[in-house]
Amino acid sequence: MALLPTDFVTDVTRKVLKERLQENEYHPRFFDPEDFECLSVVCDRLMAQDLNSRIVNIAVHIDERLHRKTGDGWRYDNMPADDQMYIAGLKGINETARLHFQRKFIQLRNEQQMEILRAVQIGSAKGVVWQELPPQRFFEELLAEATEIFFSHPLIQDEMGYAGMADAKGWERIGLNEREKIEPVAIKIKKQI
Amino acid sequence: MRSYSNNEMVDAVVIGTGAGGAPLLARLAKAGLKVVALEAGKFWNPKTDFATDEREQSKLFWNFERLSGGSDPVAFGSNNSGIGVGGSTLHFTAYTPRPQPHSFALYSEFGVGCNWPISYDDLEPYFDELEQFLGISGPSPYPWGPPRKTAYPLPPLPLNGPAQLMQRGCGKIGIKTSPAANAALSGAYYQEHIGWRQACTNRGFCQAGCSTGAKASMDVTYIPLAIHYGAELRTESFATIMEKDASGKITGVVYKRNGREEKQLCRHVFLCAGAVETPRLLLMNNLSNSSGQVGKNFMAHMGLQIWGEFEEEVRPYKGIPGGLISEDMVRPVDADFASGYLIQSIGVMPVTYASQLARAGGIWGEELRKKMRAFNQVAGINMHGECLPGEDNYLELSDELDEMGLPKPRILFTIGENEMKMSRHGEKVMRQIWTEAGGKNLLSYQRKAHTVGTCRMGSSGDTAVIDAAGRSFDVANLYICDNSVFPSTLSVNPALTIMALSLRTADLFLQRKQQSNNV
Repeated sequence: MALLPTDFVTDVTRKVLKERLQENEYHPRFFDPEDFECLSVVCDRLMAQDLNSRIVNIAVHIDERLHRKTGDGWRYDNMPADDQMYIAGLKGINETARLHFQRKFIQLRNEQQMEILRAVQIGSAKGVVWQELPPQRFFEELLAEATEIFFSHPLIQDEMGYAGMADAKGWERIGLNEREKIEPVAIKIKKQI
Repeated sequence: MRSYSNNEMVDAVVIGTGAGGAPLLARLAKAGLKVVALEAGKFWNPKTDFATDEREQSKLFWNFERLSGGSDPVAFGSNNSGIGVGGSTLHFTAYTPRPQPHSFALYSEFGVGCNWPISYDDLEPYFDELEQFLGISGPSPYPWGPPRKTAYPLPPLPLNGPAQLMQRGCGKIGIKTSPAANAALSGAYYQEHIGWRQACTNRGFCQAGCSTGAKASMDVTYIPLAIHYGAELRTESFATIMEKDASGKITGVVYKRNGREEKQLCRHVFLCAGAVETPRLLLMNNLSNSSGQVGKNFMAHMGLQIWGEFEEEVRPYKGIPGGLISEDMVRPVDADFASGYLIQSIGVMPVTYASQLARAGGIWGEELRKKMRAFNQVAGINMHGECLPGEDNYLELSDELDEMGLPKPRILFTIGENEMKMSRHGEKVMRQIWTEAGGKNLLSYQRKAHTVGTCRMGSSGDTAVIDAAGRSFDVANLYICDNSVFPSTLSVNPALTIMALSLRTADLFLQRKQQSNNV
């Protein structure tokens, strides 16, 4: 982020990232308000953010894409088209939530929501929707899209100590432990190793 | 740029401007032929159009939807095919090893797979030519395979973190490595009619489009050459129909541009749209399929990747991604399978890595955030293993239509026993290398890389779609040149071989034309 206004970033890259940082008020164009809210919360759980700390509203980007009717070039043959998949998948998530906890998904506590999502991921979620829609594949598709949107955000890339967007001059120090001055000092992850 | 009217009978229409179409386009134009290339995508200006951002650059991928089935469905989109002038060379990693001579006679060696109707010797002069023309950076002498007639024109690119780690790991267990051959410049390079291209700046975004012109994608090499020699490049022109006369010869190509149908009259067609779009177009037109082989034998390299976290700072977004190579496993001594694989180090861009953690690892929530905070300490290692042709793996037209109103292709793919054994071998070897290099928390991702097969080249029209010269057995004025014509995958990345076939197809075509003119 600190690099964004500098000469280390090309104009074309800066333009793309600045646009992504703009948070405008958004009204869903593909999903109905209830599904949109549900999807927003599902994506929050997937990326470990909550309403107060939400950095990226992932559902906005999914809604925009489905409204534009664009895709990523392929889908699993046994899955419905993306728009139908999302509608059915959200219905399934709410159905499972009711069967497990007698409430809608967004009314559940975080841990309960995660339990539902884990059940969808491993294919043990209850409900008639999942007899038609393979839950594991739905989860994989949803998670992949949410992940790609989330980690494209400049603030999240900042959190990783990523500096690849500084593309104007290239890199000379590219070997192991070779940090250039403009690259942030890494958050050393030692404990888990 | 020269231009032709639709009603002018041009010598050739070339469909697709990637590794298959661009070299032959330049060759035919140089010979004085009137040639028009139809390209479905745009002609980008990399300096002003390419951001260093993966999401923005998804515009380089072929994003018309494909249906993927079988037991091991193949990912398309970002995984392989490209759109725009340059095709998938716009986002290939630039890795350009030559195939080994024995790869062309797999059946003779193992009794499985398929022999090519041509040999390494047929392609060798083209490899020599291509490496000089593209400005490939690589080691000379090259440590594997037969001695070369020419050295690489430029020394190898500098090694990044993942390459150094692979060097370390392989060194400890006695696997030979070398800096890899890459079609990206390690120094400024001049070619007549193209001009200077500057050295790679180690920006590391080869797979999202090179913004500096250092990578030898077709849009900065063969395309400008073709334009210099008088070829017309017709962009955002999507070929749909090949019209025939009573004798079965193609007389014109119908394409969609700006929502309207147009037709270019032509004497010959060179179909170079890749291993999915080429057979799709033939099947839609019910063309060149008396063998029943169009769409058959779809193949993809076994591209298993292993990611590890290291003590050192790797910052895997810097440098040429595939810096190091080992071809020691092209024929492993302890193999319980036919053929083999190469090993490469891999750098990675953040979204690609995150996406693999999600899809392959099923990782999400706080765990995913934590894994991504370790991104600067991540490095990858990867194999490219031979895939045998098989009856269960094929492409067909589905009943679903895409936004162009054309049937979406369905591709069925299941990993066979040979590939499974090879992948297991590769996984064991690579895990050992990564462990020796200091890698922790290793994660395997069963990637299937490249689209290969579906219009195989062969010596008989009963079992193949095109002959050894690249010409259709059924349609006398139709030539095919892209990864669809490969009878087997070879155990190397396909781009260099596609380009060699492209130049050879053009040369043989021109020879034939010369001979018939002389009669």
